[in-house]
Amino acid sequence: MSLIAYSQSFERFAATLPEAERGARRAQLDRFLISGFPGRDLEDWKYTDLSANDERAYTLANGGEFVSGAALFMDADRVVYVNGQLSTDHSTSSQWHAANNTAAATGDGITALNAAFARDGLNLQLGRDERRVRPVQMLAVGTAADGATMNHQRHRIVLGENAEATVLLHFIGAGAERLGTHVVDITLAAGARLTLYRLQDEDAGASLVTQVNLRQARDSRLNALTIDLGKGLARHGFDVDLAEAGAETEVSGLYAPRSGAHIDNHIRVVHTAPHCRSRSHYRGIIDERAKAVFNGKVIVRPGAQKTDSEQRIANLLLSRKAEINAKPELEIYADDVKCAHGSTVGQLDETALAYLRSRGIPRDTARALLLRAFATEVLDRITWPALRTHVEASLHLPTEMPEVIET
Amino acid sequence: MLEIKNLHAEVDGKHILNGLDLTVKAGEVHAIMGPNGAGKSTLAHVIAGREGYVVTDGEVRFLGKNLLDLEPESRACEGVFLGFQYPVEIPGVSNITLLKAALNARRKYSGGKEIEPNDFLAWVRDRAKRVKIDPKMLSRGVNEGFSGGEKKRNEILQMLILEPRLMILDETDSGLDIDALKIVADGINTLRSPERATVLVTHYQRLLDYVQPDYVHVLAGGRIVKSGGPELAKELEAKGYAWLEAAA
Repeated sequence: MSLIAYSQSFERFAATLPEAERGARRAQLDRFLISGFPGRDLEDWKYTDLSANDERAYTLANGGEFVSGAALFMDADRVVYVNGQLSTDHSTSSQWHAANNTAAATGDGITALNAAFARDGLNLQLGRDERRVRPVQMLAVGTAADGATMNHQRHRIVLGENAEATVLLHFIGAGAERLGTHVVDITLAAGARLTLYRLQDEDAGASLVTQVNLRQARDSRLNALTIDLGKGLARHGFDVDLAEAGAETEVSGLYAPRSGAHIDNHIRVVHTAPHCRSRSHYRGIIDERAKAVFNGKVIVRPGAQKTDSEQRIANLLLSRKAEINAKPELEIYADDVKCAHGSTVGQLDETALAYLRSRGIPRDTARALLLRAFATEVLDRITWPALRTHVEASLHLPTEMPEVIET
Repeated sequence: MLEIKNLHAEVDGKHILNGLDLTVKAGEVHAIMGPNGAGKSTLAHVIAGREGYVVTDGEVRFLGKNLLDLEPESRACEGVFLGFQYPVEIPGVSNITLLKAALNARRKYSGGKEIEPNDFLAWVRDRAKRVKIDPKMLSRGVNEGFSGGEKKRNEILQMLILEPRLMILDETDSGLDIDALKIVADGINTLRSPERATVLVTHYQRLLDYVQPDYVHVLAGGRIVKSGGPELAKELEAKGYAWLEAAA
């Protein structure tokens, strides 16, 4: 591997950093230079090989033109980045833009790369009992620049005791060869409640790696929902630690990559404490030449008695050229637990399709109706109306009639 | 309206229909009866255009058009409606969505405009009353959690809303109690008119007490072996099918 371009980029970047920070950053770079980008030789990256990036020469992106106003949620408090730079024009809440601790825990080359280069990002800290009614949108936009560019950011969300918030981590991009990494550290104090959305709609030629590390204290509650669309390569790592008793977590997601896209979700829920509950519900629609990877792992640590965990994954594989690698995993080191998991891969229901067509509905519409029905299980979990509308429009599926019919 | 000549069809390589002839004129009600495995359902599915049913010979014309050249959805838009023996459950697609999509598909096919949402809901409400279906049930998934009788009534509801020109009902009477049977028969009679035709595929004579047919045909061995008036149905009820099967 060469990686030379990354060393050169780092020297230019380091020159902009305060003297005191450089040593720690350089240590992370060194770690990255030793491991390089993760590839097939690592079990966790078996189906998503990033090692070709070793030979690429991405340079650090430096701002750019904002592309699409449609991605801004008007009913949200917004922090917007364009190629890693805060866009004050489009942000309503720049006070939440701040430097974050970039110290990387141990981890693969990607984590080290992010720690070496990470720039400021969202830093949302809510105090005890603080409740935010308006959702917070962190929008990271990637746009075309001269040559191949990269952008690395670190974000942080801290909810104090009984605090409540809804946060959207939103990643979009258009054009050019780009590499982005985002590491998000989240802690929920006792009784805190977080609704966390992640929406990804990248373009062809882009590689996006997002990693969310989340720790839940006693009786806290997480509702997380992730939607992966687009044409790019996206890898999402989601690690949830149920660290104290009574914590509950519900993670769900829908991936519907466009042709040529590659979507990888690696979810890991660790039951460290007893009396915690976790639910995972993921659905995938993989068509044309798209590729999806899903790995969902539940680990029940020794002493995590009375764990209640369930994992359900369902995939629709719609073309011979499409590919899905789905794997639910369960590691249990406690003896009084309730854990269930299941994973399916299937095709569209031909009988249902024939029935709809027999009523005069064209094949394409009938197919779209059935795909929408499949996605609804996840879409129904979106409780933010504007977000749901946005996602449905991005899915290119027909919208449902109003549900209520008066008598 | 419907002309079937020398129809041969097979399913999974097995010959089911062997030279079937049938002519149905506008305004008429035809009952197709016959023993199990005679090809009654196959005939219904071939007319509707279900995949997997291969026509090896013969023709099916509907209002002068060669039906066999058309996709199933186009046949429906031309005015052919098949009431299924086993209606499918489709969780996630509501009945109301299906109805609206079907109605608008048909309008689009004939060059019309989409129906106004208020007109549509009023129309659906009115028709639902006739088959005693609570409109609230229509917000649920297609046939999702419906009882056997509800599913059949729902087929009739779809038919009442789409107002086809040719109604083919495949064993719609099977598994119905007497009240549900009357509702189903009522629905069929509502649409009965000089411009429409009906083909009732049935195993029993029971439905014919409520929907008076003009012609009764016996299908056996993939062909029509006997035709007659309503009195033939009574004769079959009394004598069974064995004497005709022997003749086939």
